[in-house]
Amino acid sequence: MPTLLELQRTVYRGLVAGEGGPCAAHVVADGIGGEARLKVYRNTFIGNLTTALRLACPAIHRLVGAPFFESAARLFIKEQPPQSAWLDEYGVGFAEFLTGFAPAASLPYLPGVARLEWAVNTALHAIDAAPLELSSFVAVAAADHGHIAFVPHPSVGLVAADHPIDAIWRAVLSPDDAAMTAIDLAAGPVWLMVERNANGVEVLRLSEPEWRFMSDLCASRPLQEAIDVVPEIDAASLLAGHLAAGRFIRFALP
Amino acid sequence: MLETRPAIAWLEVHTENYMGGGKPIAYLEAIRDLYPISLHGVGLSLGSAEDLDAAHLERIRQTAERVEPAFVSEHLSWSLVDRRYLAHLLPLPMTEEALVIVCRHVDQTQAYLRRQILVENPSTYLRWRHSTIPEWEFLAAVADRTGSGILCDVNNIYVSAANHGWDPGTYLAALPPAAIGEIHLAGHSVRALEDGRILRIDDHGSRVIPEVWQLYAEALTRFGAVPTLIEWDTDIPELGVLLDEADRAAALLEEIHGADRDADAA
Repeated sequence: MPTLLELQRTVYRGLVAGEGGPCAAHVVADGIGGEARLKVYRNTFIGNLTTALRLACPAIHRLVGAPFFESAARLFIKEQPPQSAWLDEYGVGFAEFLTGFAPAASLPYLPGVARLEWAVNTALHAIDAAPLELSSFVAVAAADHGHIAFVPHPSVGLVAADHPIDAIWRAVLSPDDAAMTAIDLAAGPVWLMVERNANGVEVLRLSEPEWRFMSDLCASRPLQEAIDVVPEIDAASLLAGHLAAGRFIRFALP
Repeated sequence: MLETRPAIAWLEVHTENYMGGGKPIAYLEAIRDLYPISLHGVGLSLGSAEDLDAAHLERIRQTAERVEPAFVSEHLSWSLVDRRYLAHLLPLPMTEEALVIVCRHVDQTQAYLRRQILVENPSTYLRWRHSTIPEWEFLAAVADRTGSGILCDVNNIYVSAANHGWDPGTYLAALPPAAIGEIHLAGHSVRALEDGRILRIDDHGSRVIPEVWQLYAEALTRFGAVPTLIEWDTDIPELGVLLDEADRAAALLEEIHGADRDADAA
């Protein structure tokens, strides 16, 4: 007789790896065999997670079509089953998985679109957090300003890609079939910031130095270091804009 | 909902759908001012051999703090092993070992949330060979040992009883009436397997069948006027069809127990 843990590990192998035999041996056959009964659970397990991925990645789903998406999802689910029951979080590794997925190699922009979609998904479901009040800087001595390390709002994400993935993403999700053909895939790289604000989720284009500056700030790099990397931009007014838009929720001093 | 304000008594949502921020939880908070809300979780995995997922329990607590639900419920099932989530309400072996584990996790959950939870009987499509306790006795023991309530899903009793050759009346009779905090009703589908045998599958995608309405009437007679919810979350019909099902449950409630505004159907 298996312990509960042993049984649950056996079920895991049955559902995730498709090794149903050892698990079926513990099932009352009773007219319908153990493997057939387990299949009901396995189909729902894969179906539920495929649905979760499709909801998180509607543009990828449309770009590659349902059969391709479902076979990619099936492999991804086997390789990276979810680590928590909050399925809004599920799919964090899907873009990277697609990068290495041979059948997707003919669509070089696909992993980029998947990374953007993941950032949009993250922004959509991120927990609420109160933005940093400007008054909290009053107590910081001017000499310490350069050491400030910011914590971004959980909805803020930064994505860079060699293709105009934001235009592709919008076109694919638009009901207008002609939108996709109007896209110039050779239009060059894009530097994107994703956030959730009062209007919903927005995807904004930044210049490369603006993007680098914001990336460093979001990585909690000290303010002066972030400024020194991109001397060509007006860091003070950019930072003021980010703060006014509520893109940071805390800061720390060393 | 906020605009049309349908005449229903209360609402239930999946806890997991409101763990993030932004608009969904903001709308739910607004609806909560108009209707009582029940938080129905599918992910806590009370029956896992390993410890409860502390992060998930904390997410439930935070959602409950914002929604101030009338009920918080989870399932008599498991879905987590070695910190991998199997996205399904999986059947437990009905053993003394599993009973002790479920009771420990219900105790921990109730202590952490500082409230009673309801535990729902699942629909199952298989039984484990080494089970020794009938499911109805197992569920009654959980309520007895932990002080939890029971969310009695009448459709799940019907589905599991049909799949395993149980008597649904025996199941109902074994549950302690005082512990029943809520009743679920739903439609289910009948799936023909390759060899022509059938399994009843709980998919919440159709009307409640007459046999389940009959069982519901028996449940009301036995348990009293218990708040009742119609679950319909796949192939969702026009709101009118849903309200029609809810009205039917409310009519049965009223027929058996007279008008009781605290225990209406949603």
